Amino acid sequence: MKRISFAVKTIILVFLAALILPLLAGCRGIFYIPGASYGYYIWEEDSKVFVEWSADRKDSKFDGRISTDGKITEYKLKEWEEENDVIKVGEDKIEFSATLDSEDYSDGFSFTPQGYTYLEFDLKMNDGYDLSRTNVGGFLENPENNVFRIEEDYFDQLRMKPWYQKHPFSEFFNKLFSNKYFTFVYLFILGIIIIEILRVTVLATRRKKIIWLAISYTALILVEICIYFVLKFLIR
Amino acid sequence: MRVKSFFKKIGSLIITKEIFENKNLSKQLYRYFLIGLFIRLIFLPFLFQRDLLSTYQRAAETVFAGNFGSDFQQMLTNVIHSIYLFIIKSIFPAINELSPILLEKDTWISWISFNSSYNVFTALALFKILYLIFDVVCMLIILRLSFDSEPESRLRVFKFWMFNPFVIFILYVFARHDIIGILATLVALLLAKKNRKYWAIIVLAFGIALRFFPIMILPLFILYMARTKKDYIILSVIGISGLAAVELFSYFYFGRSVIFSLLNAQHFDYILSSKLELVIHDRIFIFVAVYVIIILSFLHIKRKNFDILLNYGAIIYLAYVSLCYFHPQYMLWTVPFLIIIFIRRKSLLYYHWIQFALLLVILIYWGDLVTKFVFAPIDYKFFVYLTGPIPIINRFYDSAKFVNIFRSIFTGVSLWMIYLIYKDNKKILTDELKNKEN
Repeated sequence: MKRISFAVKTIILVFLAALILPLLAGCRGIFYIPGASYGYYIWEEDSKVFVEWSADRKDSKFDGRISTDGKITEYKLKEWEEENDVIKVGEDKIEFSATLDSEDYSDGFSFTPQGYTYLEFDLKMNDGYDLSRTNVGGFLENPENNVFRIEEDYFDQLRMKPWYQKHPFSEFFNKLFSNKYFTFVYLFILGIIIIEILRVTVLATRRKKIIWLAISYTALILVEICIYFVLKFLIR
Repeated sequence: MRVKSFFKKIGSLIITKEIFENKNLSKQLYRYFLIGLFIRLIFLPFLFQRDLLSTYQRAAETVFAGNFGSDFQQMLTNVIHSIYLFIIKSIFPAINELSPILLEKDTWISWISFNSSYNVFTALALFKILYLIFDVVCMLIILRLSFDSEPESRLRVFKFWMFNPFVIFILYVFARHDIIGILATLVALLLAKKNRKYWAIIVLAFGIALRFFPIMILPLFILYMARTKKDYIILSVIGISGLAAVELFSYFYFGRSVIFSLLNAQHFDYILSSKLELVIHDRIFIFVAVYVIIILSFLHIKRKNFDILLNYGAIIYLAYVSLCYFHPQYMLWTVPFLIIIFIRRKSLLYYHWIQFALLLVILIYWGDLVTKFVFAPIDYKFFVYLTGPIPIINRFYDSAKFVNIFRSIFTGVSLWMIYLIYKDNKKILTDELKNKEN
């Protein structure tokens, strides 16, 4: 039996390792997995702006233009294939056109803009726009227009955005709060079950069970009230 | 005094007399029930697989649009869902608000609208409560299926059902309705145990009309319960009467045949999916051949008892998932049989958990719909655009090969479980023989 339990543990560990390792392989400013994720990933690190794109090993074309009212002082290419990928860098403008396929997982470049108030992006995928797959500063931080501008402090502001205002938490908390009656009935039922479990286990040997139960239910009501205010705060 | 004896009777009726009268055991059972219920409720409002919405969309067609034939292949299941939908829509306005989404024909639009609606959690909880009701009834019937004079073993059977990963996953994460057919099968088994042969086969016939799956164990029922030639004929006729009734109703009401529609559906091809190609058009369907061997082996057991019947039920459903293409919910059909065998052979329980771990990998077969989209009610945009498991695996290795390696291990484990059950059969028969000799 011990051997079986050891085998089960080994299988679970191998399985978890198989899941985690590929995830670690793609660690970036924005998390994406080259050759698996699909879209544009744009972020800022040490005053450099990174623009990278990836496709799920299918033939894809990425082209676009970035312009600014400042100056582009330096740029660096990443996994650039001269035969397929083209880039033109001007003083205040970058134009690029690149392709990905089953062997070419991702491309990108970084540049350092200086003295600018905005950066304007016009990014296409397969000759069209897919704004939900254009991630600017974070996963699902999507622009609203095909040609979009970001201000100088855009990335700093985004960094200050708390976790509960980001996907998937923002949507989850919003649904919980906008559906209050369900949320509180649901949590109350879960609470009753927990109290019942405590009653037949921990409280079973205690004296003055009724007092303990009264305390438990009071605590449950207080927790519900707290959750109401916490949710109200989270979805501001 | 009368009130006390009334509650005693009710208690004994629900959790069996032996467990109810033993304070320790009844407390333990209550504890298992509460923890199991807690786990179920955690998943209840947040996760589902697309099929749940389709099931209720068909029911909505019946309830809101009066189209009775919206799911003529699963007519009785649709009737149950329609009645339930009618009840919850009359009580909860949230369901009425969802009617435009439920009646939306475009599957993608309806799925997105459902997931993005503010009351998706309420709807999911209400939709799945139907399965929770069937689940609770199933757990109480399973208590009675075996170990008549061993309340401790019965309690363990209850525990294995309450914490069974397949039950929790298929009913509360995946949200499939197989539990309805399983309840009918369990009632039939209980009646068979009590030698109510006609009632047992009538209920099983109803189960077949509900979900087709119990037809696999129909021959076992007939062989187990028939004592005379007349019995064989009557039980066989009653056994297929449920399906025949549905066929006749469908033929006259909708002008279409259910049986031929099912036979031509891809689901029937799953049974024939594993085959040995011989020459020209000659091929052997492996599951069909194995199934015949299993039935013949049951036929040749002279002293068939109820535990042997349960073991053979497990063997048939395990053989099916081992050798045929299957959907995750089909695994639920193995559970009621296996959890009883776990008491005698605990190693099977570990293999069952391995099966579950492997199934989570095999799920990748069905793509985003059964993996990341299951979490879509929480935030559909996040889970739609999140990179799915197939592209991640494809990045490093051929995803089909990857999944099929795990699929093959799953088959190996399941076949080994069948062997262990076969050994258990031998032990049951030898013990019975010894008892008779003594």
